[in-house]
Amino acid sequence: MPPFRIGFLKRKINPDEPRNDTTEEEITDIKSDEELIKGDLDGGSDAADSDCEEEPVESDVERDAVLFDDSADSVLGENDDAEDTDESDGTELSSSEAENSDENNSEASESENSKDSGAESGTSNVQSLPNTSGQSTQRSNRRLSQRKATVKEKVGAAERAAESKQTRDQIDVLSERISAANVSTQPVQQRDEYESGDTSDEEDRVNTAGDVPMWWYNEYPHVGYDLDGRRIGKPPQRDQIDEFLRKCEDPEFWRTVKDPNTGQDIVLSKDDLKLIERLRTSQIPSESHDEYEPWVEWFSSQVLATPVRAFPEHKRSFLPSRGEQLQVARIVHALKMGWTKTRRQRARDRRRDKVKKFYDLWGSGEVEAEGGSGPRARPVPAPRRPPPTHAESYNPPPEYLLDNKEMKEWEKLSETPWKRKYTFLPTRHAALREVPAYPRYVRERFLRCLDLYLAPRAIKMRLTINAEDLVPKLPSPRDLQPFPTSESLQLRGHTGLVRSVDFDPSGQYIVSGGDDETVRVWETSTGRCLRTVDVGGPVARVLWTPASGLSLVAAAVGDELLFLNPGAGVGAHRVAERTDELLERAPPQHDVVMDERTRACVTWHEVAPDGELWARGVRIVISHFKQLVHLSWHAKGDYVAATVREGGARSVVVHQVSRRRSQLPFRRAAGLVQAAIFHPQRAQLFVATQRAVRVYDLLKQELVRKLRTGAQWVSSLAVHPRGDHLLVGSYDRKLVWFDLELSGRPYQTLRLHGSAVRSVVFHRRYPLFASGGDDRDIVVSHGMVYNDLLQNPLLVPLKQLRAGEPRDQLRVLDLRFHPTQPWLLAACADSTLRLYT
Amino acid sequence: MENESGDAAQIQVRFITKQEQYAVSDSPYAIQSNVKTEQLNTLVNALLKENKTNIEKVVDFDFLVCGELLRTSVAEHLREKSISTEETLLIEYIERFPAPTPQDCLMHDDWVSAVDTHGNWLLSGCYDNSIHIWNTKGQHKLAIPGHTSPVKAVAWVSLNESEAIFASGSHDQSAMLWVWNIPSNSVDCIVTCRGHDKGVECLAVSADCQRFATGGWDNSVCLWSASKSTEDNVPSKKKSKPEMGHSREPLTTLKGHKEAVSGVQWMDFNTVLSTGWDHLIKLWDCELGGIKQEIAGNKAFFDADWSPLNRSIITASADRHIRLYDPRSTESIVKATYTSHTGWVQSVCWSKTCDTLFLSAGYDGLVKLWETRSPKTPLFELTGHEDKVLCCDWSNPAYLVSGACDNTLRIYKAKHALANNI
Repeated sequence: MPPFRIGFLKRKINPDEPRNDTTEEEITDIKSDEELIKGDLDGGSDAADSDCEEEPVESDVERDAVLFDDSADSVLGENDDAEDTDESDGTELSSSEAENSDENNSEASESENSKDSGAESGTSNVQSLPNTSGQSTQRSNRRLSQRKATVKEKVGAAERAAESKQTRDQIDVLSERISAANVSTQPVQQRDEYESGDTSDEEDRVNTAGDVPMWWYNEYPHVGYDLDGRRIGKPPQRDQIDEFLRKCEDPEFWRTVKDPNTGQDIVLSKDDLKLIERLRTSQIPSESHDEYEPWVEWFSSQVLATPVRAFPEHKRSFLPSRGEQLQVARIVHALKMGWTKTRRQRARDRRRDKVKKFYDLWGSGEVEAEGGSGPRARPVPAPRRPPPTHAESYNPPPEYLLDNKEMKEWEKLSETPWKRKYTFLPTRHAALREVPAYPRYVRERFLRCLDLYLAPRAIKMRLTINAEDLVPKLPSPRDLQPFPTSESLQLRGHTGLVRSVDFDPSGQYIVSGGDDETVRVWETSTGRCLRTVDVGGPVARVLWTPASGLSLVAAAVGDELLFLNPGAGVGAHRVAERTDELLERAPPQHDVVMDERTRACVTWHEVAPDGELWARGVRIVISHFKQLVHLSWHAKGDYVAATVREGGARSVVVHQVSRRRSQLPFRRAAGLVQAAIFHPQRAQLFVATQRAVRVYDLLKQELVRKLRTGAQWVSSLAVHPRGDHLLVGSYDRKLVWFDLELSGRPYQTLRLHGSAVRSVVFHRRYPLFASGGDDRDIVVSHGMVYNDLLQNPLLVPLKQLRAGEPRDQLRVLDLRFHPTQPWLLAACADSTLRLYT
Repeated sequence: MENESGDAAQIQVRFITKQEQYAVSDSPYAIQSNVKTEQLNTLVNALLKENKTNIEKVVDFDFLVCGELLRTSVAEHLREKSISTEETLLIEYIERFPAPTPQDCLMHDDWVSAVDTHGNWLLSGCYDNSIHIWNTKGQHKLAIPGHTSPVKAVAWVSLNESEAIFASGSHDQSAMLWVWNIPSNSVDCIVTCRGHDKGVECLAVSADCQRFATGGWDNSVCLWSASKSTEDNVPSKKKSKPEMGHSREPLTTLKGHKEAVSGVQWMDFNTVLSTGWDHLIKLWDCELGGIKQEIAGNKAFFDADWSPLNRSIITASADRHIRLYDPRSTESIVKATYTSHTGWVQSVCWSKTCDTLFLSAGYDGLVKLWETRSPKTPLFELTGHEDKVLCCDWSNPAYLVSGACDNTLRIYKAKHALANNI
């Protein structure tokens, strides 16, 4: 609402203004009117005056009138009120207090009015600044107003000076301006807008009808409702005659207008009239605006001797802003990367989005591939229509044309056309051009569309896992040759179980021992039994010495360990002689010393050269306190580790052949010892108990590590010729491979057998190992150990070799590889030895 | 055309032969493709009868199609070789080697491990440490004890009317040179050759009868003088035991094998071939004592034989196969593999007269007569042995001899030697 209207509205809300208005007021009013016409009113002083007189107003109305005499504004208001009282005789009275409050209100609005006008006149109007501030202060004293007046005078003087003396320096003007402006810097007192009891409710009482066209109330005697829901009555309607009469009678008629909102008559005040006049003459509405104010050249082309500001420009102002640069860079980068879009792009996108999109579901997909949408890139081919048949031809072969019988059937099925053979009637036409339009064309295209609509559009990805794919990729056995593949020789001669076999170091001979109380020596290449030695007891174990150039066989017979020299009998005379020479050399006596504990369980006997035993080949006999179950030569061929059945702490006895002495390496029983074998290179001993394999260092005399096999009962163990891998066979059908470098846990547990494993063996040269037991088959496997420590051993089962017939549920009791050839020898329970090559 | 009519396609054939007396006309004939050797035989005989009236009796022929003996029908043969049946097929025919007939079975006391023939005399080594001399009629001449271990190799050195020299090698680490006085039927060991550390496995006498070579389990090949004279002997005064007789040291010891030497052969007067368990065939230069050539196999070799006729080596190894090596060729030294035995082949022997025939003895108890152009099927299987056959010999072209673990030495008579090969 424009500021001039505020006061204007305030005025008309007071329909029942004091009726004690006198004619004097009217007179003054007229006088003021005249003044208005003259236009010599000094608004500034007028305002200041009214401000000063404000306080006493509310109590004394009379005085009020007097005091208001010089102020055109207040006079106008009085007049207004008087007029209102005349007209609103019949209407309800509002309370007298409202009257008082209204008085206040009018003043407040007055001040507001001037303030607003000041604001309207613009900030450039420095002159009005002191004015406004002066007006806004509620309790400004006279001194202040006087001072203002002096300021105004000063300013006016300055203006005059500027006008008169053009030569005067701008700086003087400027300094004067500044000093003038300083006046306004004194603190402005905040005016409490509710102090006079003015509330927004009272202001809103102006329009009670709401935001509706007023002609709605044309027919009604009231205009809207007040807060209590009572009707607010219209002022009495007048007809043309009344209007005319009023025109004649009422001197104020010329400046009475009708408020369309309330239907009340409003007498325009002098100010309003002035405003209207100014507007009509296209002048600036505010009176206080001076159009001919002298121009102050703040920014001139003239270089001043001293800067306006006392300090130099900061360096920062010459440099491009860093923060701004960063911000711009960020935006540019975002644009470059496509994170943000320019306005043009966004507009284009919007335009594109507005266009409706259609997807060709069964299209070739090339168009959509451009868009790069992922799932659409692979289109599903539309289901094909069946190709046309001969019957659909325009000239079908005669067998497709319906004959009479078929025609009858066709007719018969006219009610149920879906049962017909064809959906159409095959018809013959002489030429293609004679074919009529197909009546079902649209229908069929529609059905086709329906079919496509309901056809599945997703490719079903079927996850096919073959059982073969889950099996680890192992090289083909064909690439891992050579390995034994078939049985080549059967060595027959034993009459009982063959418990143990071994090759001589060169592979020329085989030695075997079994339950028929004999040790036999065989020729490998022909399978001939060259020698049979009766040892007088079932042979548990035979082992040829690993030292080359010697023919010495250790045989465990009952509780005796026999050292045999079979060489002489089989033709290896020189070797046999050499062996005998070596054995004849008796060790110095002080070396033979054994401690009490050892002596209690081991006794050495040298066999006399002329005896019957000697003739049989027996050279040394070592008696033990219990039955022997396992033997193992050290790689150098000097030590033999013998395992005694249930020997407790004395289970393992190590014999040194050259010094004819024995040692008991263990003080404490580790368990039920199954076997003890030497490490091929280091001075270590592997001792297999029922569940675990312990590795002992013989020099330091300590336990190096303990390997848990995970098996229930270990039957046999074999060390890889390099010494860092161990293979353990168990009676519960397991084959456990230990990588000693890797961990104490099994590297792999192989379940290659259906029943107990009784023997495992490594090949000395080829990467082969074999296992056999009560199973029907001996399994030969590839066990490649790599020099690279990072590469795990490669274990590939290669071949099942058929073992001999079972006897007492035993099949294979011992296995041995040929020292140089990829041949495997098995000691079978059916009293044969089988050589597989 | 006497072929039985069948559905099989007809093929055009032309018969050729290298034996002039059996030549037929060069014109092509159309025959059924499913004919076998017998029908071709009948056909060729009929053609021969037409042309040449001087051949009365029916001759048996073998037919070579594409360098391989025809053993099945022609069509099958061509299919195996993947040769078109459209073109005219050249069929070469040769007179068939007649089937050997078993002649004798000589009983020994133990396994017969070595055998050698020279003229009418047979020499056999036995596992009871003895050497036996027989004649081809089957008469036992002599049993010679002397070795203390099984005799593994025997060979005739020279033979004349009154006196014969032979050598034997045994597992008692020695080879012995014997002189057999035929008229008095007495044998004398002239020298004992001691040089091997372990048993002697094989023995071969050079063509000029001056030297012989032995191979043994001590991985070495020894060359010995085979002369009767005593100048090669070690002075006997050094020997502490005079009752051992004269002894001789090797002329040369060829060391190079890594494992046992299983076979030696003389290729010429200067070259010795040896095979070993280390999968190697080595050709030695005797003068220099060095290796001339080395051929690697992939199985342990048990025996090898060299034929001067076709200059190739036939080997037996620790599997079922017999392999033909050509030492002259540079690539793919194995020329052919002959597979029919079901056990190890222990011994092989070339024919001395025909460059395409050889004999093999296997642990399956069979002796087989092979034609080099028929790698799958042998010409004949000589049955009779009941156990592993350990040795075979075909030095006398008329007799095929084999010794086996059933303590027998069997003699088969080859009735006929081919005309052009004799």
